Amino acid sequence: MTGAVFRKELKDHLRDRRSIFSGLLVPLFGPLMLLGMFTLLASWLREDRPLIVPVAGARNAPNLIAFLQRYGALVETAPPDFEAQVRDGKLDLAISVPEDYGREFEAGRSAPVQLVEDSSRAKSKPQVMRARRLLELFARRTSMLRMIARGISPVLVAPLELTDVDLATPEKSAANVLGVMPVLLLMVAFFGGMHLAIDAAAGERERGSLESLLVNPVSRGAVVVGKWLAVTVAAWAALAIALAGFGVTLAAVPLQELNLKFQLGAPEMLGLLAAGLPLALLASALQLTLALFARTFKEAQTYLSILVLIPGLPAMFLSLQPIKASVGMMAIPVFGQTLLMTDVLRGEPPPAAWFAIAAAVAVALSAALLAWAARLLRNEKIIFGRAG
Amino acid sequence: MIEVRNLHKRFGAVTAVDDVSFAAADGVVTGLLGPNGAGKTTTLRMLTTLIEPDRGAALIDGQDVARNPIEARRRIGVLPDTRGLYPRLTAREHIQYAGELHGLKPDGLGQRIEELIELLDMRGIADRRAEGFSNGERVKVALARALVHGPRNVMLDEPTNGLDVMSTRAVRALIRRLREQGKCVLFSSHVMQEVSALCDRIVVIARGRVVAEGTPEEIRRRAGKDNLEEAFVAVIGSDQGLMQ
Repeated sequence: MTGAVFRKELKDHLRDRRSIFSGLLVPLFGPLMLLGMFTLLASWLREDRPLIVPVAGARNAPNLIAFLQRYGALVETAPPDFEAQVRDGKLDLAISVPEDYGREFEAGRSAPVQLVEDSSRAKSKPQVMRARRLLELFARRTSMLRMIARGISPVLVAPLELTDVDLATPEKSAANVLGVMPVLLLMVAFFGGMHLAIDAAAGERERGSLESLLVNPVSRGAVVVGKWLAVTVAAWAALAIALAGFGVTLAAVPLQELNLKFQLGAPEMLGLLAAGLPLALLASALQLTLALFARTFKEAQTYLSILVLIPGLPAMFLSLQPIKASVGMMAIPVFGQTLLMTDVLRGEPPPAAWFAIAAAVAVALSAALLAWAARLLRNEKIIFGRAG
Repeated sequence: MIEVRNLHKRFGAVTAVDDVSFAAADGVVTGLLGPNGAGKTTTLRMLTTLIEPDRGAALIDGQDVARNPIEARRRIGVLPDTRGLYPRLTAREHIQYAGELHGLKPDGLGQRIEELIELLDMRGIADRRAEGFSNGERVKVALARALVHGPRNVMLDEPTNGLDVMSTRAVRALIRRLREQGKCVLFSSHVMQEVSALCDRIVVIARGRVVAEGTPEEIRRRAGKDNLEEAFVAVIGSDQGLMQ
């Protein structure tokens, strides 16, 4: 009987062109977004791009200009409206040297130099940083020469010798960039079966076909489980499409240029599925049960659209307050899966038991929700609308 | 065989069904007649296990609908007041789905579907999706679905409501046929002409209570009227909504 319900729901769903269309396209939204993001990032970060430095008032500081050129910068004369051009993003940056630079420099005082940038433009940032590094290097060199000329050891003004030792593996930094992937995947798990859940619960009520269904000699439990399995299969299909999409787009992205030694191979895919598939069971049970409370298709759509946003919450929390995953957190649905997926992507797959715990919690909660849904279908207020 | 004993159902402050008792025998067409809102649909919904009675019992071939709902459902074929079709399924698929839910085997079911398509004259619509079906076509599909498992008891809620003359005739012919086959047919209607044309026995319901029961002749005689129409008006207390 469950099988009959399951087959009918899937057949019905597959004939719904609109929902099939969105079911195929929406899961691909995430992969396409990442593809665009990474391609753009790579084009910005390309180090072989020459550092072009438009300078206004270059003749005020021949020594600085000579230094910049020695370190590979292409010094150009800045156009008169260079500030406007920087603001519009036509120039990444500009350097402006005031007239009194020479006088102050000669006198051994701090000579004014302006680095003109628009910090709201992420695209210009790498170039601005390169220019800033050169300016700072020039300042350090000059101060050392001045101290030596006055017989002071430069070491005196450097009480610390600070060296950065970055222990982040390339995979870890990649995982930061890829932190959105778990969110996108889990959202797909919630989205994939949404339409079917609405149609199979609220839609059945709205059409008045629920009555005809429930007068058949089938237990409410069998009806609910059949519908739930159909919703789950739709969610799984969406998850598989999204994952395949990520596989294809990440293979196409110039990861090396981004200095990301990251890969989405078979082990990572398996890890993501092991976290995502059981959660889809829970998402489907939740959607089906919630949609039973809605009298109309539209009403259910409102409820379930909010539900799709749930996977965003753990990621938001984690971005504010990064924490180390622990076994206890696996018992929190969605949150646990987010952590599992993040660790898989980071190249540090969690122990299998963690996956098992997260899956067991999802299955147990699904069972409880389905039992509730079956009870709801015995309630005349649910079958016939709230008026009874 | 359908037996109803002292059924009660309240919705909040409204008593929809108040101590209703009657019986519908096999090989007999029994009509539930009453104005809109009299409690006919609520009574049928209790008989089809969709609503639980507050008090009283309903038995289908001896099976208590509240205690053994699945056993009771096996023995009934139901045409609910909402015909409720799936727009993307064909007429044939509707019948097939119902058959599968009744646990019919594929080969037997296929043959049964052909029979029903023939019986209800559905050749033209059998493989069309239900999307654009007319009222009459919808009722035919819903009837075929209700009868797929050959139930001994058939309950029809306002079966000819909203149908044109041809479809009404077809439904009436089907009901007579079911009686010839010895089925227990119970149908509700608020149209007096409909009930008097078809029914062997009539149960008149008003304000949730049974106000008269018997053959048309018995009801007329007991009310002391010359014709059935006046008898109905007399037992219900008004002619509101009974005439068409």
